[in-house]
Amino acid sequence: MKILVPVKRVIDYNVKPRVKSDGSGVDLANVKMSMNPFDEIAVEEAIRLKEKGAASEIVAVSVGPAKAQETLRTALAMGADRAVLVQVEDGAEVEPLAVAKILKAVADEEAPGLVICGKQAIDDDSNQVGQMLAALLGRPQGTFASAVVVEGDAVVVTREVDGGLETVKLALPAVVTTDLRLNEPRYASLPNIMKAKSKPLAVKSPADFGVDVTPRLKTLKVAEPPVRSAGIKVPDVDTLVAKLKEMGVA
Amino acid sequence: MNVLVWVEHDNASVKDATLAAVTAAGQLGEVTALVAGAGCDGAAAAAAQIAGVAKVLKADDAAYAHALAENVAPLIVALMADYDAFVAPATSHGKNVAPRVAALLDVMQVSEVLSIDGPKTFTRPTYAGNAIATVESSDAKLVLTVRGTAFAKAAATGGSAGIEAVSGTGDAGLSHFVGAEIAKSERPELGSAKVIVSGGRALKDAQTFQDVIFPLADKLGAGVGASRAAVDAGYVPNDYQVGQTGKIVAPEVYVAVGISGAIQHLAGMKDSKTIIAINKDEDAPIFQVADIGLVGDLFALVPELTGKL
Amino acid sequence: MQVYDAPLRDMRFVLNELYSDDGFGALPIHAEFTPDLTDAILEEAAKFCREVLLPLNRPGDEEGCHLENGVVRTPAGFIEAYKAFAEGGWTSLASSPEWGGQGVPEAVGKLVEEMICSANLSFGLYPGLTHGAVCAIEGHASDALKAAYLPKLVSGEWAGTMCLTEPHCGTDLGLLRTRAVPQDDGSYKVSGAKIFISAGEHDLTGNIVHLVLARLPDAPPGIKGISLFLVPKFLPKEDGTPGPRNGVTCAAIEHKMGLKASATCQMLFDNATGWLVGEPHKGMAAMFTMMNAERLSVGIQGLGVGEAAYQSAVWYAKDRLQGRSLAGAKYPDKPADPIIVHPDVRRMLMTMRAYNEGCRALSGWVARALDAEAHSPDPEVRKRASDFVALMTPVVKALFTDLASDSANLAIQCYGGHGYIRESGVEQYARDARITMIYEGTNGVQALDLVGRKLGANMGRYLRSFFHPVSQFIEENNVDGPMKPMVEGLARAFGALQLSTATIAQRGMKDPEEAGAASADYLRLLGLVAMGYCFAKSTKIAGLKLFFGAEDKAFYDAKIKTATYFFERILPQATASFLAIKAGKTSMMALADDAF
Repeated sequence: MKILVPVKRVIDYNVKPRVKSDGSGVDLANVKMSMNPFDEIAVEEAIRLKEKGAASEIVAVSVGPAKAQETLRTALAMGADRAVLVQVEDGAEVEPLAVAKILKAVADEEAPGLVICGKQAIDDDSNQVGQMLAALLGRPQGTFASAVVVEGDAVVVTREVDGGLETVKLALPAVVTTDLRLNEPRYASLPNIMKAKSKPLAVKSPADFGVDVTPRLKTLKVAEPPVRSAGIKVPDVDTLVAKLKEMGVA
Repeated sequence: MNVLVWVEHDNASVKDATLAAVTAAGQLGEVTALVAGAGCDGAAAAAAQIAGVAKVLKADDAAYAHALAENVAPLIVALMADYDAFVAPATSHGKNVAPRVAALLDVMQVSEVLSIDGPKTFTRPTYAGNAIATVESSDAKLVLTVRGTAFAKAAATGGSAGIEAVSGTGDAGLSHFVGAEIAKSERPELGSAKVIVSGGRALKDAQTFQDVIFPLADKLGAGVGASRAAVDAGYVPNDYQVGQTGKIVAPEVYVAVGISGAIQHLAGMKDSKTIIAINKDEDAPIFQVADIGLVGDLFALVPELTGKL
Repeated sequence: MQVYDAPLRDMRFVLNELYSDDGFGALPIHAEFTPDLTDAILEEAAKFCREVLLPLNRPGDEEGCHLENGVVRTPAGFIEAYKAFAEGGWTSLASSPEWGGQGVPEAVGKLVEEMICSANLSFGLYPGLTHGAVCAIEGHASDALKAAYLPKLVSGEWAGTMCLTEPHCGTDLGLLRTRAVPQDDGSYKVSGAKIFISAGEHDLTGNIVHLVLARLPDAPPGIKGISLFLVPKFLPKEDGTPGPRNGVTCAAIEHKMGLKASATCQMLFDNATGWLVGEPHKGMAAMFTMMNAERLSVGIQGLGVGEAAYQSAVWYAKDRLQGRSLAGAKYPDKPADPIIVHPDVRRMLMTMRAYNEGCRALSGWVARALDAEAHSPDPEVRKRASDFVALMTPVVKALFTDLASDSANLAIQCYGGHGYIRESGVEQYARDARITMIYEGTNGVQALDLVGRKLGANMGRYLRSFFHPVSQFIEENNVDGPMKPMVEGLARAFGALQLSTATIAQRGMKDPEEAGAASADYLRLLGLVAMGYCFAKSTKIAGLKLFFGAEDKAFYDAKIKTATYFFERILPQATASFLAIKAGKTSMMALADDAF
């Protein structure tokens, strides 16, 4: 079985994003970029499935600028076998719907048994691509996965839902999206980083797949969230109790 | 504008998250509530009473028992022929189903809507809430998920909408429900609690967390949360986690005990109406967002507080 | 708070931008190491250091190592971290592919070493010593020993040590007493006591391979009668796996000022089986292969700690609100300004920053020379590179570690009282950095090595490998323009260095004590000129990049500002060193011994 893993190049998890003063977006100039953390978990899960013998090949795919090649190399260094970059202009925003359409076209070519996506990208926080891809492929979806077990021609996915866990069984091929606790991604080993350089990486364009990436949503403005200002400090517990009583919660 | 709202329910009653979605939908136009379930008469009746709901569509079919996206999405897509917008609460169900509907309608969904600024203009959080984007849709139809904490809850009673049964689209045969482990607790769920008491790493270990945090929560009738550090240290299970990687909450009162206030935690609770912080470090970042701060040793202060309430 | 994230941008600058014209040329063997690959290596190493090694640094210092029934237990988390480190292939980074290594250029390897030392110096010692042992075995041992030990050492499955010091002999190894008696099967029985053996015993690996200096029965006295032996903790079985326990035990571990998570052991060899490495009585030569590599590494250790101290100080200086800027409140909405607004705090931060960037640039140059020395197809280049490495080894060791101690102290000063409290984490840097000035030859010994062995060697040939590029740079850039003040400053300091060199050569010829008395100042002077050259070169490149509209404006701008600070506030110390050298030995030696 082949596994397709879409990965996105995003602002590094540790960097605090700064909104541009003209309100046109978030300042990404000279900001450290990395693989979306949920996608790292997806790559890790695919590698584990391959190590268990449930998968034979892992193809990483990214829709992004030329520099997204670095992100794909990271996936290759972790253990993916080959990569496809669907390259768009630097700075171009491709919306989840368009990404899902491109991924559908890639999936039609590659015929994977499983697609494992991150549940959301930490930049636009849309949480849509996996579900949309499943819809376009007419295949089942196991979103927010905390466990993935392949059983014959099905995959059993434990999902993190409000208040607990839910388990579903999906007919393959299927789309799975990862939640934080699915696994802890490995560090790429030095030999694998060096091997990654010679693994195949194909570069394509959205036009190759006949997908129109024109945005449907127009961003009118991007602003900082309202700032909460510091309140008062109370000297002791009695004052706090009085305050709580004032608020009617005690 | 005709708006179809996804009702989250347990077949018998309607979940709170639906009420905020109804409020948001009401700002767009006339609200029709969709109750898809198996043996869901009770939920449909409850939905009909929500203030602001004009009509309830009830799709009662074994295929909808667990709201599997593969089965309910075709139903919604079929119904959307008569609607201009689909609104779901941004719960795990809503987030699972809505994008599948959007893709089938060839619509770009707007996720986690915070406010409705015009018929097609919305604000939504990006970068873990560090940037708020205002977006305008150019699609013919709208698909939205709305953040429950951003809209007032519609009154659960007072309405008297008619209930219309609609026929289902059946089982797509792609997926089936195996089981669920929903944590049972006497305490209010974090998502709907009016008061939340959260503990941080300073609580030392699981037992101390129990001994210090739970009695205070009991006194206040509060839900219990925790910082990621406390969860990672194994004091409490993961479903307690409040923050960017856990739950986003916005209760009336949020009590942060021994929580320093890492950005990732603040992202999950900074929309709370009143924040109370108890911490020994007077420079802790939590005090920069707290409305009421108490500096001191939590192991002395919290039991004292519990005792005096 | 201990703060560290690898300074990847500056590292890439040193690796890819600074030395394209250093005359060592491109090395065909390293053709595959293009910037995209080296970036990927550096990024992953940075991540590992930040996420795995850094969080163990302070707990490791608090817990320390413990000796229980002859077994040394490393602090919690070290075993898991070491396993991940070895599995990640980091132990084999710069080793030869022949033995399973990755053959990564030293120019990259030294940057990774720096990161490891920044994140957790104690941890770094374990694989660091193994790498030293690998170098010595590779360079001098028999093919059979190489085949039996190198693959396991390179993979990190086994660890290595170097056993030199004995209770009565440290710097003067000619006094050492450990004995090795030949056996009929070609092996030797080694007996004696060794002290201060880093990583002599620990629980990180399945076997530990000691390289031990000892005397053969027929050995001439003194330094010329010392041989090198390989003595494993467990004797390998036929299949290569660890077999019976050898006669080597850890008698005690030292309680040290710092570096507490690194086990410093007293080792007893009692009829332990060992094998000769290299020729009989030529042990010092073999040991020096290892020692020279280690001396450069110790310099890098210093740089690593200096960088961590700097970053931790910057974090605090931005976080700590105290007083108002002398120029009026800079952050009026806060109760006070962060202390980074104060000139004296700036002085400390800029000094640390300039030390670190200057040392990193210089070590990048030396690392390129290491690569050229080993791999250049041109014998002339190999010789020149080798000369440069020989000259710079004592400078890198002593200068970097002296400056690291200064940086660690400055970091504590930035923290004020909080820096003296253990919880803040910065006092650990001062304790950890302190040993780097001492081990692998004290900095005094390094200075003697420089003036005694390196200056005069081959009619000053070593020195030319450095003087030539500096004078050439001054000549080419001494034109009107923004660089002029810097080039003039460099020329002045370089002139002082040339004069001092001549002075030492003349006086030292007649009186070796004169050379000794000048040595420490001379090493500092040479180091300042070398850093000045690196900063001037950096400024030139940064200026060009800015002129041509490079993307990374902020980085190049900061580089020039840091270089300017170095030239205005640090390089003037060259004059002080020059004057001290000029004064000669008299005042230093005048007081009679018993007047002390």
